[in-house]
This record gives sequence, structure tokens and C-alpha cells, in this order.
Amino acid sequence: MTERDFDVQAFARDINELLVLSTLQDGPKHGYQIGLDVESSSNGLFRFRHGTLYPILHRLEDEGLIRGSWSGDGGRRRKAYSLTATGERHLRGETNRVQEIVSRLMQLLQGPGEVRA
Amino acid sequence: MSARAEGAFTGVLRDVERQLALPIPDRIRILRELEYDLEALSGRFLAEGLSPEDAIRRALEALVPDSRSLGELGRLHAPLYRRMTGHLSAHRLRLFERCALVGITALVLVAQASTLVRADLLRNPSPFLLPVLGSGALLLGMVLAKGFQLWVKGDHTDPSRGLRPILAGSGAVLALGIGGVIVDLYRLAAVLERSPEQAGILTPDWLVRDSALLSVAIILALAGGLAWLVFSHWVSLVSGARLDLLGPNPRVWPFDGRNRVQ
Repeated sequence: MTERDFDVQAFARDINELLVLSTLQDGPKHGYQIGLDVESSSNGLFRFRHGTLYPILHRLEDEGLIRGSWSGDGGRRRKAYSLTATGERHLRGETNRVQEIVSRLMQLLQGPGEVRA
Repeated sequence: MSARAEGAFTGVLRDVERQLALPIPDRIRILRELEYDLEALSGRFLAEGLSPEDAIRRALEALVPDSRSLGELGRLHAPLYRRMTGHLSAHRLRLFERCALVGITALVLVAQASTLVRADLLRNPSPFLLPVLGSGALLLGMVLAKGFQLWVKGDHTDPSRGLRPILAGSGAVLALGIGGVIVDLYRLAAVLERSPEQAGILTPDWLVRDSALLSVAIILALAGGLAWLVFSHWVSLVSGARLDLLGPNPRVWPFDGRNRVQ
């Protein structure tokens, strides 16, 4: 794991972002589909409620990790999101980081004697 | 542009809009996305066998942003100017903006005058030239202030406010120019009536002086009129898009800062 400070709130935010990014690996999706897919693939463990999904989507779009594109005609327009190449790289790197954090946490929970120096 | 029929989520969208302190185009983009997602998700719940009321309730619960999410969306989409000046108090910001506006208007006035001096038009100017230049600088100051409010500051609480004074200012500059030409002509005629032998000197002099006055007035009025046209077109576009999405609502239409929940 890198030497940067560990922030629990930022970690929770990162997890939400990674869930969105990983869902978009299947292809472009609308916001509500992303929310449904995260919920169903985690068996209801992770759920976006009260519109918490939108700030995440817009932040990821702002950072260039996902791309939002509008379609539809007339007044009914819809926005779909897709993963960018930067987003894919970010997802791979962050997944490794999360894996390492979780593995350290598990070692801590299982017993102090097993924690690596 | 006609408003769309009132949808199942229009009321909710209006409530969300009132809580989004963002420029209108950003608000519309967020609301359009939310509208489609709400309709699609409630449709999905309906297809799964939920009653229409339950489908709508669950879609609203999942997707409608709470105050925290709205605050975060507000921060994410805040115009660059607001992000840069966020640390200033409202009083200091107002003072800074006013000083900048006065400075820019003065600069415009100096630039106008120096251009005219270089063109040798102030050698023997019409007495109306300076008032035309002054009102023109004021007009350009108004145009700059409106452009700043709409596109830099992103303050769209009342986007059409200040447009009529720009149009009226353009008309006033032109009227001042034309009026000046008429008065100068009248004075010339009065002088020539007394001493007709001076016609050969005074008439060309009047022509040069007042054609300069009229040209300056027309250019300034055209600039103001063009700015008014651009602003009006933009305001009409975004207001039309908003009307199409949310429909006319006496509580929030026309835009009124008193309805805003910050």
C-alpha cells in the first residue's frame, strides 16, 4: 500500500466510485441502471439512495473517468455514461489498493500477531 | 415554445430546481437526467409488479437528491468565478465587482477618446460628442456587467433583468447623436442666415464634425443593440428549455430570487 494517509471517509467515497466504475465495465448505462446494477450485483449490500449517485457520477465525469453522452429527440433526452480509458486504468489501480487495505484490515481483525511489520 | 404536459415528477423536479443554486443550463441538464431516470426506474418497478404509487415512491426515494447531495452537486457545478471568489464575504465581493465595473467603464471611455484623438476628430468636436461618448461608455459598462452576471458569475436568479435598460441605452445614444446633428444643423443655419458668406467654410466643417458624431453614436448604439440581441436570445433559449422541462409555475416563474432556497 502507498504511504499516503488513510482517510476512512475518503475510502468510503472511493468505494462508491469504484462500484460505479466497475458496473460500467459491461458497457454504457443510464444513471438509474447503474444504481440498480450495483444493488443487484452486491445482493443489496450497496445501495445508492436519496440521489447520492448523481454527485458521484458527475464527479467521475468531471475527472474524465467516465463520459456522459446525451441522446434522444424532442424534449425527452437521456444521459448515458461509459467508462473511459483513464477510468479503466484508475479502476485497475484502485482495485489493487482496496484489496491491499482490506487484506491488512482482515489481518488486524484476525489477530495482532499476524499483522505485517 | 409550448410547455410539455405536466408529468408525474414535474412537482418534484420543480422542488429540486428551487434548491439548486446553479446557472440555468446546469440546472436543466441535472433535471433532465433526473427526469429520465425517475421515469425509467418507476417504469421498471411497475413492470416488476409494484403498484403505481409504490413504483413512484421507490423511484423518488432512490433518485431524488437530498439536501446533502444537492449541496455536493452545487459545489461540483459552481462556475469557476464562484469557486475563485467563494472565500470573499458578500460585501467584499460586491465592492470588488463594482470597482472592477467602474474601472472597466473608465478604460472603455479612455480607449474611445484616445481613438478619436488619433483620428483627429476631437480637434473641433461637436458639443454633443462628449455626452455621446459618456453615455456610450455607460452603455458598454451595462453590457459588460450583464455578460459578467450571466456567463462568468452564473447568477441566473433573474436573467432577463437589465436587458431593457441596455436596449433603451442604445436608443438613447443614437437619439443623442441624431439630436446633436439636428441642433448643430440648426445652429449652422442660424449663423449662415446672419452671414451667408461663411457658408463655404462653415458647411464643410459642420459636415466633418457631425458625421463623426453620428458615426460614433451609430457604432455605440449598434454595439449595445447587438449585445441586447445576444443576451435576449440566450435568455430566451434557456428559459424556453426550462419552461419545456418544468412548465409555467406561478411560484417560480418568472425567476424570482425570493423563491430560492439556498
